[in-house]
Amino acid sequence: MIKFALAGNPNCGKTTLFNSLTGSTAHVGNWPGVTVDKREGVYKKCAEPISIVDLPGIYSLSPYTPEEVVSRNFILDEQPDCVINIVDATNLERNLYLTTQIMEIDVPMVIALNMMDEVAKSGDKIDAKKLESKIGLPVIEISALKCQGMDELMERAYEESKKPREGTTVLKHSALGHLIGDVKISLEGKGVSSPLFHSVKLVEMDEIETEAHSDCVKMVEAFKKTFNDDIFGTDFEAMVADGRYKYISQNFSSVLTRNVKKGEERLTNSDKIDKVLTHRIWGIPIFLAVLFAIFHLTFSENFLFLGGFFAEDWDPLKRTWFEGLIFNGGIFSPGVMIFNVWNEIIVGKLFGLIGSGVESISGIAPWAVSLINDGVLGGLTAVLSFLPQILILFLFFSILEDSGYMARVAFILDKLFRKFGLSGRAFMPMIMGFGCSVPAMANTRTLADEKERTATIRVIPFFSCGAKLPILTAIAGAIATMSSIKNPDIITYSMYLLGIVVAILSVLLMRNTTMRGDVPPFIMELPSYRTPQFKSLMMLIWDKAKHFIKKAFTVILASTIVIWFLTNFTWEWKMIEDKTAVSQSILASLGRFIQPLFTPLGFGSQLGKYGWVFAVAAVTGLIAKEDVIGSFGTLAACLAAAISVEVADIDIDGGVSAVQAMVDATGATVPGLISFIAFNMLTIPCFATVATAKAELSSKKTFNLTLLFWIGASYVVSAAIYLIGTWPLTAIIFAGVVAAVVVGIVLYNRSHKIA
Amino acid sequence: MEPINILIIVFAAAIVIGVTVASIVKKRKAKKSGSPACTGCCDCCTRCPSATNKEHTL
Repeated sequence: MIKFALAGNPNCGKTTLFNSLTGSTAHVGNWPGVTVDKREGVYKKCAEPISIVDLPGIYSLSPYTPEEVVSRNFILDEQPDCVINIVDATNLERNLYLTTQIMEIDVPMVIALNMMDEVAKSGDKIDAKKLESKIGLPVIEISALKCQGMDELMERAYEESKKPREGTTVLKHSALGHLIGDVKISLEGKGVSSPLFHSVKLVEMDEIETEAHSDCVKMVEAFKKTFNDDIFGTDFEAMVADGRYKYISQNFSSVLTRNVKKGEERLTNSDKIDKVLTHRIWGIPIFLAVLFAIFHLTFSENFLFLGGFFAEDWDPLKRTWFEGLIFNGGIFSPGVMIFNVWNEIIVGKLFGLIGSGVESISGIAPWAVSLINDGVLGGLTAVLSFLPQILILFLFFSILEDSGYMARVAFILDKLFRKFGLSGRAFMPMIMGFGCSVPAMANTRTLADEKERTATIRVIPFFSCGAKLPILTAIAGAIATMSSIKNPDIITYSMYLLGIVVAILSVLLMRNTTMRGDVPPFIMELPSYRTPQFKSLMMLIWDKAKHFIKKAFTVILASTIVIWFLTNFTWEWKMIEDKTAVSQSILASLGRFIQPLFTPLGFGSQLGKYGWVFAVAAVTGLIAKEDVIGSFGTLAACLAAAISVEVADIDIDGGVSAVQAMVDATGATVPGLISFIAFNMLTIPCFATVATAKAELSSKKTFNLTLLFWIGASYVVSAAIYLIGTWPLTAIIFAGVVAAVVVGIVLYNRSHKIA
Repeated sequence: MEPINILIIVFAAAIVIGVTVASIVKKRKAKKSGSPACTGCCDCCTRCPSATNKEHTL
């Protein structure tokens, strides 16, 4: 099958074009030896099927990044039948730099001028015919997004693939033109294919070329002795780059006619928005406000803080189907409204029906009823009850990312991050951590500096992932009921901020002690702002919902069955008939064994005979963080009979009420609950994340230190929260410890100065 | 013991054993097929909208 390659800058629309051409035939893998995506598919609308390979997005064919090496080697070694160079028509001059390099290879080539719809929208004009005659290559105007021009592009590419092509260079008439020509003749004599490309790279002293053709290096060295440029001296690499850009500017600028009055600087809509959102002073406060707005819309039970205007039990929908779902002394936020409808009508009614149905099955044993109703349904209800809010939060973050705003946040945070030893590039993996830590850690491969990468991997779990949201929401709900803080969204927002603050302090500590080093420069292309596509957002939400439900009915379901078993059986394998004797269960004894460890954190021995529930729940979070609330749900259902005898009648119908039941049974305080949240947010993450960290970190020693770091950080922070919250004067002791650590770091740095 | 109760025990055991075995098999499969960095412990790459095949490639 003939093979075409798609090559171009990042964000030029290559993947969009690839997806349009190949559809469901696309196959994604990895280039061997490197962790760079390889995409292949088949185009079937030409005279014969064509294999399309999507090369990684690159700015040049230099050997500095794995993506560049992969693309270059593919074109040179695999010799595709045609290279389709996708050029972003809205950034013509920058994109043509790569074009001038690919042109030097002996391979048939066409240029696909993409995003022509955006050029037309802006009122600019590109003379494609003029570009084609000047560059000497076929130029086809397309819009990959709108699927325009694709057939013409593939037909032209197919025609070109049948004709051999010799490489041409734009440097022929430059100061290095003669040297390039001489080296080329030498390489032709040795039978090297694409001699022009290799000769230009040799003149640039490209590492790969100098190793492969060391004899030709002498020609270049000899030329250097007799040549000296006024600006670049003997830096031929810089001269070549300058030569390319000069040629592009002089010859191709005339093909573009901009829709702007003479003397006026045209500001795009993105530029105008950026003047506000990336403001030097207001950029970060705006980001924090946006973040708060997201949490308010998702979790607030007092939307826009209007509750003060109404009576405590105000509800205009009383005695209707919607009573208590939308209003209750104030207006619920959209997230809470959906949460209430989901739990009252869907989860509550459905699982209630199933529970009743199970009880009515003839011949079913009481323990079987308990297994299904208390174990399975109790755990599933607790976890599934949070699905709407997880999806809504995920939707908001996806909108921010798709719109292009998150890229701006990385840019405005770069200056602040540098003070802590990180670049703004580290922000992208961190923000992915709000969704899931696993792809966030994989995304740290974009960080070239190993120390920066290790520090980022260590703090990613502090950015609470979607799985930790049920813990936050359930316990924030319990705290809101117990305390004067009536708004759970404020507690949830504060906990997210706590994670960010702990991450920053941790990075400061690491980058000033064992991971000292320079912060690498951060250069990033800001994509234009765009309206997120409704269809792609809905697909993302659907995907997230499927993943969550799948996890609930597999890992969490299995965990709740195991927890039920351990709660209802003794070490002698006898079922506990009397529910008030639950303290004799396997789980209770295991829980009591580890319970003292959590005493300094506020949810240990001080919580009495049922306090082990908190310890057990925290440990089950290692399997999956949703398991924490799943465990609460199962355990609360199992302990309901015992707790009712000793405390009060409890009605468990979701994660929040399960936590409240445990709080009532154990006497957990507000500082203890906040400490519990903090511990679960900061401690060793789920097994999947741990496995990813192990794979991404450079050595086993680094991984083991990372585990210790997570345990230590979570223990210290949680203990500080509980102790200071319970006995405020202990803040003095902690302040003293912090001061001692700072002094220690300063003395350490003085004695271990970086060379 | 009534058949319904036996069925429930078998079903519960099957879920626990099945989930455990599936996790181990997935991990081994990922190590064989995908990049060395992939441990197969999650489905992130297989459910990513921009990934069109179902192999672990992370």
